[in-house]
Amino acid sequence: MTSKTITNTIIIVYFVALTVGVGYFIKSEYNKALGRRFLDVVEVRQYEGQNLSSVNDFRENSIKGPQFVDRQSYRLKISGLAQNPQQFSYDDVISKHESFKKIVTLNCVEGWSVTILWEGIKLKDIINEARPSPDAKVVIFHAADGYTTSFPIEYFVDNDILLAYKMNDAVLPPERGFPFQLVAESKWGYKWIKWVTEIEFSDNQNYQGYWEKRGYSDTGDLNEPFLK
Amino acid sequence: MKIFTRIIHWGLLASIVVYVISGFGITQARIVEPMTFGLLGKNLAFKIHDYVFFPFVILLILHLYITFRKKRIR
Repeated sequence: MTSKTITNTIIIVYFVALTVGVGYFIKSEYNKALGRRFLDVVEVRQYEGQNLSSVNDFRENSIKGPQFVDRQSYRLKISGLAQNPQQFSYDDVISKHESFKKIVTLNCVEGWSVTILWEGIKLKDIINEARPSPDAKVVIFHAADGYTTSFPIEYFVDNDILLAYKMNDAVLPPERGFPFQLVAESKWGYKWIKWVTEIEFSDNQNYQGYWEKRGYSDTGDLNEPFLK
Repeated sequence: MKIFTRIIHWGLLASIVVYVISGFGITQARIVEPMTFGLLGKNLAFKIHDYVFFPFVILLILHLYITFRKKRIR
């Protein structure tokens, strides 16, 4: 192979890489523009003097794409090692529990982050109602798309963690996790499960969720690397 | 020297390809993972993307140095 052929090959590869890059940029901007049109929500962008990100600033990186959950037939199942397992309708979850607001930043492992005003109910309240048995050490969350993740029960007992139904004062759009998204403060984004359908109390401390099984940290703590 | 130059150029080419593909493996995991029959999962893509970064920068600097030096000699 002559040096001219090598140079030509390198130039071609450069241009291919450049084309792919530019194409990807155009595609992502186009998707963003589509998203802006699609997620036409009336949202607040400032709260108590703090600037907030937009509902459209998220990147869609769920495992099966957005889930469109029917509000009427939706049930939030509280199951597992609990003395009072329950099923709530969407309205029951909201009307039967006190709501709280909090500004929390979601940090994705992909490198982007969004600061959002979340409104939801405290997981602590759900746990107190369900009365988990003393053997229950872990809370496993299940989502409509089959995604799962887990936390030690103390995480919810010791912290005011929200199960959000609103972001920036707007009801969660389906693309952002309607009906409920977990606001897993101080955890990497993959612990912020969307489209929550079931909260299960378990004694299995070795349980691994979707990404945890694939090499992500079980704790998902922000101050630690997300890869094991 | 000629072999060294070739290694640099081809190494840079390889690192660009790996860097781009692993980048897609991170941002487009839902597409890339099934396309690679599960071989390039998101966590592996992250690791490869991290590992390739420094070799890519070094190879790029060497590539530019060799190319400009060659032009100046001419």
